[in-house]
Amino acid sequence: MGAQNYDDDEEVEEEEEEEPEGEDLDDDEDYEEEDRKKRKRKQKRNSYVDDVAEEDEDEEDDAPSRKKRGRSRASAFIDDAAQVASDEEEEEEEEEEGFIEDTIPEEESSRRSRIPQRPALLDTGEDLEDIEIEKMLQQRYKTTSYDTYDDSEATVVEQQALLPSVKDPKLYMLTCPVCHEREAVVCLMQKYLDFQAKNEPLLIKSAVAIDHLKGFIYVEADKEAYVKQAIKGLRNIFPKTIHLVPIKEMTDVLTVEKKSFDIDKENWVRVKTGLYKGDLARVLDVDHVRQRARIKLVPRVEIQELVAKLEGKEIPKSKGFSVRPPQRFVMQELREMKVHIERRRDARGDHYEQVANMQFMDGYLIKNVSLKTLNAVDVMPSLDELQSFQKPGDDDSVDAFGLSSSRKRGQFVKGDTVVAVEGDLKGIQGVVEKVDEDNVEIRPDKKSGLKDVLRFHIKQLSKHFEPGNHVKVTSGKHEGATGMIVKIERDSVRVFRDSIVETSEVTCGLTKLGEFELHDLIALDPMTVGVIVRIEADGCQVLKGTPDKQEVITVKQRDLRKRLYNKMINTQDRDTNVVSVKDIVRVVSGPFKGKQGVVEHINRGILFVQDRQHLENGGFICVRATSCLALGGSRGDKQVNHIAAAFSSLKPPSQFLQSPRRSPVRGPYGPPSGNNPGRRNDNYVGRSVKIRTGPYKGYRGRVVDASGGRSVRIELESQMKIVTVDRDILSDIGDVQSSFREPTRYGMGSQTPVHPSRTPMHSAYMTPMRDSSATPIHDGMRTPMRDRAWNPTTPLRDDTGWGAHTTSPQYMQQPGTPLATRSYEAPTPGSGWANTPGSYADSGSPVEAVAHYGNPSSPYLPGTPGALPMTPAVPGTPGGQPMTPGSGVLDPTSPATGKLEKQWGLPELMVTLRRNGDTTIGVIEEVLPDGYCRLSIGDDTVTVSHSEIEIVQPEKNDRIKVVYGEFRGVSGKLIGIDSDDGIVRTGTDVKILNMKFLGKVGK
Amino acid sequence: MGGGHHHAAQVPASLGRDLRACLRCRLVKTYDQFNKNGCENCKFFHMEQEHDRILECTTVNFSGLISSMDPTGSWAARWLRISKFVPGCYALAVSGVLNEDMQNICEDNNIKYVPR
Repeated sequence: MGAQNYDDDEEVEEEEEEEPEGEDLDDDEDYEEEDRKKRKRKQKRNSYVDDVAEEDEDEEDDAPSRKKRGRSRASAFIDDAAQVASDEEEEEEEEEEGFIEDTIPEEESSRRSRIPQRPALLDTGEDLEDIEIEKMLQQRYKTTSYDTYDDSEATVVEQQALLPSVKDPKLYMLTCPVCHEREAVVCLMQKYLDFQAKNEPLLIKSAVAIDHLKGFIYVEADKEAYVKQAIKGLRNIFPKTIHLVPIKEMTDVLTVEKKSFDIDKENWVRVKTGLYKGDLARVLDVDHVRQRARIKLVPRVEIQELVAKLEGKEIPKSKGFSVRPPQRFVMQELREMKVHIERRRDARGDHYEQVANMQFMDGYLIKNVSLKTLNAVDVMPSLDELQSFQKPGDDDSVDAFGLSSSRKRGQFVKGDTVVAVEGDLKGIQGVVEKVDEDNVEIRPDKKSGLKDVLRFHIKQLSKHFEPGNHVKVTSGKHEGATGMIVKIERDSVRVFRDSIVETSEVTCGLTKLGEFELHDLIALDPMTVGVIVRIEADGCQVLKGTPDKQEVITVKQRDLRKRLYNKMINTQDRDTNVVSVKDIVRVVSGPFKGKQGVVEHINRGILFVQDRQHLENGGFICVRATSCLALGGSRGDKQVNHIAAAFSSLKPPSQFLQSPRRSPVRGPYGPPSGNNPGRRNDNYVGRSVKIRTGPYKGYRGRVVDASGGRSVRIELESQMKIVTVDRDILSDIGDVQSSFREPTRYGMGSQTPVHPSRTPMHSAYMTPMRDSSATPIHDGMRTPMRDRAWNPTTPLRDDTGWGAHTTSPQYMQQPGTPLATRSYEAPTPGSGWANTPGSYADSGSPVEAVAHYGNPSSPYLPGTPGALPMTPAVPGTPGGQPMTPGSGVLDPTSPATGKLEKQWGLPELMVTLRRNGDTTIGVIEEVLPDGYCRLSIGDDTVTVSHSEIEIVQPEKNDRIKVVYGEFRGVSGKLIGIDSDDGIVRTGTDVKILNMKFLGKVGK
Repeated sequence: MGGGHHHAAQVPASLGRDLRACLRCRLVKTYDQFNKNGCENCKFFHMEQEHDRILECTTVNFSGLISSMDPTGSWAARWLRISKFVPGCYALAVSGVLNEDMQNICEDNNIKYVPR
């Protein structure tokens, strides 16, 4: 047993302690056993014997008499396993005596220094009376007892040893009223003590309230029942929810981030509140106990005001809003004003000036403030701010602050163009290849004739820029700005170059500064507003809202106070037209007369207009509303009319307004383009649109109001609702359906059946082939009754119906209507429909009907128009079919051809005859004038209708005849097929014709 | 063995702003309680006699609160290293350190001061 080995050692010390006591007491007390174990373990850990530690432990036992214990017995109890297992439990009592000695040498040495006392005690121990020794020991325990607690310097390793184990009590999470966590914990403590006094102790170990955890406390106990018992009757702890905290999370509960106090002497901090809010300050002194700091600020004190105050005058107080710019105090000025200045010395012997109740040192204000009002995190003082803390003539002090040092390195990066400014190779130019430490390797440019990479000291080089280079300022006041080098001057270049880097980045500089963005309207003081026209690294330039006078001031970020929003503000122009944001105005008087632009901001009758032609201040000008005229508003006098005329060019063409539905499909409504701004919305009203994104994504609707700037109001089709959405998320569906339907309600009936064929119809004028087939086939698919009813009674109706999807009604009524529509208008009564009513009657299903029309297969579902052009049968659509616009489409210039083509048959053409479900191949012998052909099938000759036959599509090397198109009737040979196109040789010519135009010639 | 062998510290009399935590042992009590009875763990400061020391030895800047009822039996107390202190209410963390004078007092009393 390992413990046995130490017994000898222990004997020595036991002697010291116990022999004087000379009493034998209840050995079997648990904790004594533990004491024993501890002791042993300690000895195991420490090669040397630490009496003090021993004594510390013993001090825990109130009765010295108890210390007597059977050593050998105890050691017999101890085995290694037990020691390990009890480690944690012991820790608490034993503390980290052993650990400390092991791990912290200096602690050890300090103990050593106390050790000399001990031999004295030991030496004399034998001679002293028991009681005396006991006293001495007690004395010593007293002093060292504290020691034990404080040795617990938490290293990671030690804290690891304290990790909870299964043997430890558990943590339970309970709920309590928010903000009463501490109260609950204190109540539990009180209850514990009370019950202890009553001798019915609670069995909980501890209760924890954590500041950032609202509404919860933790109670530590071995069992949940103990927790319940303990909280019984406490009204500030809810008994309902008790959650066990997993062992792994126990440490997280108690690991409290130590409030970090970064604020220390010489630190830079920012003031969180008050007049100096956001200002940089330097900490002179910190009093952690009182939580106060002495800080140095650049005063924002108005001398005039101070003087007035000192003289007892009433100061007309400007509203608290205004903040004076920070400025160093010049005591001389004050003296001249005969202000009483007391010169004093503070505790550290530094001189300061006391003026009124303020202290100044070197012109800086010294304040004592609470640490809570200071922010030490992410202070990042800007160079300007630091400079304001710099004493004049004290050049190095900024460097001393440990800032700008970073600029020294990384001054050159690979790819920079540099020029040597020192040394033998002075003047040589090159490109940086490599930078290490203070040396830069450059590849000289070709002009120099040198090829090898040269090595320079960083100081020998300077960046080189040429006029015209696009650069970005990398540090300093203009950091972040990009620009082009216009001129390089000898001296100024030096300074300039160092902080610029060649760049391809094109920006107008920064656009955001904290919460402020470029072109924001901000309040400068209660009376003035301004627009941010330029943003710099730590401030911005603001065009002040002083009409007719361009005044730009630079405002530091910390001085930016309030952003103004003016979405809903209107004002009136000279003619009392309402002007709102985003309207276009023209300046008609004042220095900016003639300027014209979009109103970006309105504030108290002052307009901030952005004129793209204006080159200063980001195009912003500030004018009175009364010296402007809104373009597009109602006007009172001739001059305005003149302007209106001028503006009319900006407006969309008038016909757009008259017939919005005719306006060409423009795709998604983007933001209004430059030439159509201002009151540019009218022509959107009534348009059908689809919402592309947002909560209404996918909805279609009609624009009912587009006067609201960027947003438009849309009446949804699917909901009885008008919503307002942004213009940008709309896409145009094209036509105005609802408004169009009204006058042609007549056609509404046909709307539905016609609908599916809309797509092919649409393409009618683009892909004729598709159409010619689609239309009749589609009709064929429909209920015949309908068609028949439809055609004779209202021959024009289908025109309208079709037209509704292709063109507007006006279009139809125009004399110049394309032949396409006309062409199938005329033959309607005598169409194939009328000719073949029987086939309709016979056909039980649409498919059959199709078959009657000679379509070999029927993929021609209206919904799949795409399949149509692939079918050779398409042109074979029965002649005389009223809906076949194909002819007109194919050759709109020759209606005659179109008519003829209804009887497309040509002699010698090989055709497929479909009759009574059979298909036979025949060759046309003769085309009869009434729409019939004489066909020779084998030896027979039959007369067939055009509707029963269709072209046989030729194959390569077949002889063909051109059936449709301008080459109709031409014979030739198909020498190649290129998908839809056939390559035809006619005599010496080679033509490329659509395969569907071609028919095979029979032998 | 329970905490009964030690006399418990006072329970904070109120939970207001005058609550302070001892910088050495983190015991939390009100200013008045420190004023009257000092700190149960750090008696050598004798705050009850030298009232000026209360400001020096205690702070209002502490976070969290743990009622240590059975310091020796509690894992939390051990983890927070307050298991040797008397039962009472303690801060989970305090900010600030004892000033030099007070640290000297600790030293004079053979107490090693470990900033918490």
